[in-house]
Amino acid sequence: MPLKRYSTSVDGTIPVPALLYEDEVILTSQEGVGIYDGPQKSALHQAGTIHATTHRLFYIDNAHPFSCSFSFDLIHVARTEHYAGLFTSSAKVTLYLNPRPPKSEATGIAEPNTPSPPTASTGSTSNEVACLACTFLNSPLLRECEICGTPLPRKPSMPLPQAPHPPAKSAPASRSVTPAPEDEDSDDENDSVEKRMIRLSFRKGGDKPFYTVLRRSLLGRAWETKAVARPAPSSSKGIGISGILRSVETTAQVSQTNMEDALEDLEALMIKWKDMVKLAQDLNERLTAVSAPAPVPAITFPSVSSPPSSSPSPSPFPAPAARLGTTAPEMAMAMAASRQVVEPEEATFIRSSLAQLGLQMANAPVTQDMVRDERNWFEELAKELAGVLEGSGVGPGAGNGRGKGGEGMMRRRGIVALDEVWGGWNRARGVALIPPSTFLQVLPHLPSFTLPPIRMRTFPASGLSVLHTPPFGRAAFASRLVGLLTLVGPRTTIEVAQEEDLPIGLTQEMLDEVETDGEICRDDGGSGVDMFSESLGGTEGGAGGEVRYWVNIFRGYVWDGQE
Amino acid sequence: MSTTLAPYTLPSGFVLPSIHSGPPFFTQQPSPSSRKIATDNWTRLILSYARHQKLFVLRTEDADIPGGEWDDVLSNPRINRKIRAPHLAAVIAHMVATDQAVYDPPNQTSAVLLYWRTPEEWAQVLYDWASSTGHLNTIMTFYEIVEPPVPSPLSDLPLPILRKAIAVLAKSSRAQVIAVADGEGVRFLTAPPGR
Repeated sequence: MPLKRYSTSVDGTIPVPALLYEDEVILTSQEGVGIYDGPQKSALHQAGTIHATTHRLFYIDNAHPFSCSFSFDLIHVARTEHYAGLFTSSAKVTLYLNPRPPKSEATGIAEPNTPSPPTASTGSTSNEVACLACTFLNSPLLRECEICGTPLPRKPSMPLPQAPHPPAKSAPASRSVTPAPEDEDSDDENDSVEKRMIRLSFRKGGDKPFYTVLRRSLLGRAWETKAVARPAPSSSKGIGISGILRSVETTAQVSQTNMEDALEDLEALMIKWKDMVKLAQDLNERLTAVSAPAPVPAITFPSVSSPPSSSPSPSPFPAPAARLGTTAPEMAMAMAASRQVVEPEEATFIRSSLAQLGLQMANAPVTQDMVRDERNWFEELAKELAGVLEGSGVGPGAGNGRGKGGEGMMRRRGIVALDEVWGGWNRARGVALIPPSTFLQVLPHLPSFTLPPIRMRTFPASGLSVLHTPPFGRAAFASRLVGLLTLVGPRTTIEVAQEEDLPIGLTQEMLDEVETDGEICRDDGGSGVDMFSESLGGTEGGAGGEVRYWVNIFRGYVWDGQE
Repeated sequence: MSTTLAPYTLPSGFVLPSIHSGPPFFTQQPSPSSRKIATDNWTRLILSYARHQKLFVLRTEDADIPGGEWDDVLSNPRINRKIRAPHLAAVIAHMVATDQAVYDPPNQTSAVLLYWRTPEEWAQVLYDWASSTGHLNTIMTFYEIVEPPVPSPLSDLPLPILRKAIAVLAKSSRAQVIAVADGEGVRFLTAPPGR
């Protein structure tokens, strides 16, 4: 029976994807399929699922997946036929098979070393090789003629899996080893075409899509390329596009692995951080407890204890103590606390370590010492900020080469909004960022470290704060503006903004302030023609057109009209 | 645009102040100090124009009426500016607050009687007119006073102002309000001794 000969039993309890070859792909599946072995129904295979892959068909039986499932190599299929079904007859796909299954190492259906002389007698396939001497049609698996022993010409396209096999021994000897196929072969001789076929009966439909896929798979002949593709991985390494792709893939894999490792570390840290903080607090409490009963008068600190007072470091990576930004005040606290410790050096070391880790020590006492240190700290920060603003090369920005050749934030502009300064400074620092509260505390120290002094100014209308050089101070700007208006006449906000090279919003703020001071006045304009502006009132600018600013024509005005 | 401003004389002979040709004058200034000066000057301008033209009533709508009797001061076509109604209302409110005008009728804020003379000044004008025209000790209706056959300074004087002026005279015993058949009347008295 063809089914027995052409198929291989598989363990259907294993999922099909696990049964596939390396380069084999499942294309489609259809349940509710029965198998006809030749013209008759195969009793054992009447309800199962059929899977089509690039290489094979799998039949997995529903009732007895272990015993009744089989796989079937598509290579055996000579042609196919589709029958759409009629009334109670279900749709069928008929697979006509090649007269003799070519031996495949993958399937192992037939013993590889079995010569099969009877195939010669069928004589109907092109696979057989004619002997050059006696013209006997030999099996393509043979190297020498079965009759005369002449070496046979090889068909180049035929893979010969049994190549290392020694030249065939005498036919009887082989046959005696494997008698089973012989019987089949003898059957085969009598096989009509219709006996060499398998039918798939689609009891639950799905025949058409399945047939389409099956046809495509047969046309694709994936089993032929398999032989070529398999050795490729070892031989083509590092050559051509595939080599490049492979190396990229490898790199990606390596980095993926590294990343995963790193993330695992991070996760571990996240889990453990609480414990670490607790430990630190505990340590600190103990230190405090030890030191409390033994107050000692002020001790002069080692130089480490006043971190910010160290002169700006030219090194690309400033000393952590000096640059620890937010943690430095806490460090100062630690220092202050450690004054009273019996072994001040050790305690100082522990606490400064804790502070450097950024661990909070809320219960450390606040002392005059700390205030002094804080003032130093702010002054140092002000000095650094001055460097960022003026580009004089002080501060980490210049040190780290991020200062762009000493170009400060305020080199070109006389006035900068506070948020921009804060962002720019922290960008220049890169690490140990300054919180806004500290930033605001630093600002009052700024004028003494900048030349010309840079001061902060807050506009009352909007609350916007800016840093500005003297020319943009309240009085200086007002007098400059009045001079401008006197010289060139009334100007709009935008024109003033262009003149001063300032943002329009900022210009508006400054103009409003000058107006409040009574140095200038405004003209809404267009009142004579614009009827829509009536409802808006006169206090808001731009009601009837663009606001133009005038030198204050009201100030010092003396009545010169009709008495 | 030049910022030097000059007074302008209207065809009627009224001299507009130089500030009237400054566009900011027609804008309500946000700055308190500027606004105060502007409002004071508006008040003065309106009153002096009213005196010149003998106008007694000012409405906020006058700001929007082209060609009205107030057009010459409330707008300046030479600089294409005019005062806006809300701005004018603010000026009027200031005038009322400083007793230079009174809302008439009361309980609204869009129309005022202008006191370009105070009721006391009007009282004096009225008494002088009465004595100079020999109407002392005679009874006169209000109508006779505000629409005399011979034009007088009191022509077209709004009755509320007239009433206030008479009340001032009555207080100093120089006039007496008398009910007459068709409304109210007044008898001017000779000045009491010592006055």
